[in-house]
Amino acid sequence: MVVSKMNKDAQMRAAINQKLIETGERERLKELLRAKLIECGWKDQLKAHCKEVIKEKGLEHVTVDDLVAEITPKGRALVPDSVKKELLQRIRTFLAQHASL
Amino acid sequence: MAQLSSPQSPCCRPLCYEQSERRLHKSLQMKMEEMSLSGLDNSKLEAIAQEIYADLVEDSCLGFCFEVHRAVKCGYFFLDDTDPDSMKDFEIVDQPGLDIFGQVFNQWKSKECVCPNCSRSIAASRFAPHLEKCLGMGRNSSRIANRRIANSNSMNKSESDQEDNDDINDNDWSYGSEKKAKKRKSDKNPNSPRRSKSLKHKNGELSNSDPFKYNNSTGISYETLGPEELRSLLTTQCGVISEHTKKMCTRSLRCPQHTDEQRRAVRIYFLGSSAVLPEVESSLDNDSFDMTDSQALISRLQWDGSSDLSPSDSGSSKTSENQGWGLGTNSSESRKTKKKKSHLSLVGTASGLGSNKKKKPKPPAPPTPSIYDDIN
Repeated sequence: MVVSKMNKDAQMRAAINQKLIETGERERLKELLRAKLIECGWKDQLKAHCKEVIKEKGLEHVTVDDLVAEITPKGRALVPDSVKKELLQRIRTFLAQHASL
Repeated sequence: MAQLSSPQSPCCRPLCYEQSERRLHKSLQMKMEEMSLSGLDNSKLEAIAQEIYADLVEDSCLGFCFEVHRAVKCGYFFLDDTDPDSMKDFEIVDQPGLDIFGQVFNQWKSKECVCPNCSRSIAASRFAPHLEKCLGMGRNSSRIANRRIANSNSMNKSESDQEDNDDINDNDWSYGSEKKAKKRKSDKNPNSPRRSKSLKHKNGELSNSDPFKYNNSTGISYETLGPEELRSLLTTQCGVISEHTKKMCTRSLRCPQHTDEQRRAVRIYFLGSSAVLPEVESSLDNDSFDMTDSQALISRLQWDGSSDLSPSDSGSSKTSENQGWGLGTNSSESRKTKKKKSHLSLVGTASGLGSNKKKKPKPPAPPTPSIYDDIN
C-alpha cells in the first residue's frame, strides 16, 4: 500500500519532469534563473565567496567537490526572494496547465 | 525519453533507478491524462514546485562551480584581481574640464613637438609643414634645402660664427612660413636661384632700369647710396654688411643669415643711435602673422613710437602690427578682419617697396665709406 503510493508519487513526478523537459520549459526556466541571478549580483557575491574559499585552500588544492560543498548552500541562501517567487510562480502555472490535462 | 528524464530528476533519487524506469516505460505507454495529476492536492503541487525550483537552483550552482573550477585550474580566476591602490590610480575622473584620466584637455593648442631632424620644438599645428621642409619633401623643400646648403657653404669661410644664429631667425621655420614663401617667390625672393644666376655677374652695378638688382643675392654696395636710400633700405631690408663681399644684405628684415644684433649695429652705424631699428622685420610679414611672432610684434610696436620712416612703410607695418595684436588675443573676428586687411597692407607694402627701389640707386653719394671699410 505504502509502496504503491510511493510509486504513484514517483511516477507522477517523473512524468512532470519529463513534461518539463519535453516542452522546453525547463530550459527556459533555467535560462531565466541564470539571467536573474546575474542581474541581481548573485554571481558576483558567490564569486567573492569562491575567492575566499580558494585562497583558504590554496590554488592547487581546489576540487570540484570541495567547491560544490562550499558553494551550493551559500548559493541557495543567496537567491533573492523576488527571483525565487517569480520562478515558483512560473513553475506553478506550468503545473496548473499540465495538471488539468 | 525515460532515460532522458530520470537521471535529471532528483525526485527519483529515493527510488531505485531501474524500478522507476520500468514504471516510466509503462506509464509512457499509457496516456498522460490517465496518470493525471487529478489526485494531487495543492500542497503536493506546491511541494513539487519547490522541488523543481531547488533543482534549478542547484543546477545553476553546479554550473557556477564548474565555471569557477575551470577558471582556477586554467589560471584566469584571479586575473581581474588588482590591489586597491592601483585601482585608485586608474579611477575614472568625472570633473568638469578634465577628461576621464584627470588630464586637462584642450591643451593641444600649446603643445609643442620636438622635430626629430633638427631637434627644435615646433607648435603642434605647424609640425607637419615643418617636417615637410625639414626632411626635404614636398615642392618647396628642394629649393629651400638648396638655398640652405648654399648659405652654409658661402658662410662657412667668412661668417662661420653666424651659423648658429641661422636657424633662430630663419623665416622658413616659423609659423607663417608658407605664405611668406609664396610671396617671396612671387615678388622678392632674394634667393631665387633663377634670379641669382642671371644677375650674379652684375653685382655691384646699380641702375634704375634694373629692378631686380636689389634682390641680388649678394647684396648691394652701400657706398653708392645716399642717406635717403640708406634709410629706406634699412627699413625694408636686412642691410647687414657682409665681410666677404662688402655688400649689404638685401634679404628681409628677418633674414636668417644675420642676427638682430648685426642688423641693429648696422642701423646704429648708418642712422645713429636715435633711429635704431625702428622697424625691424616688419614689412615682409604682413600677411602671415603667427603666434610665435607676437612677442616680436610687441617690441616692434614700442619701437614704432620713434619711427621716422617713409609713410607707406610705417603705415603698412603698423596696421599689420595692430592686426597682430588682435590675433594675439585670438578672437575670431579679428582674424576675419585681418584676412581682409592683409591685402590692403600688402598693397601698401608693395608700393612702398617699389618706391624704395626706384629711389635708392639714384644719387651715388657714399656718406661714410671710409668708416665702413674700418668695420669690415
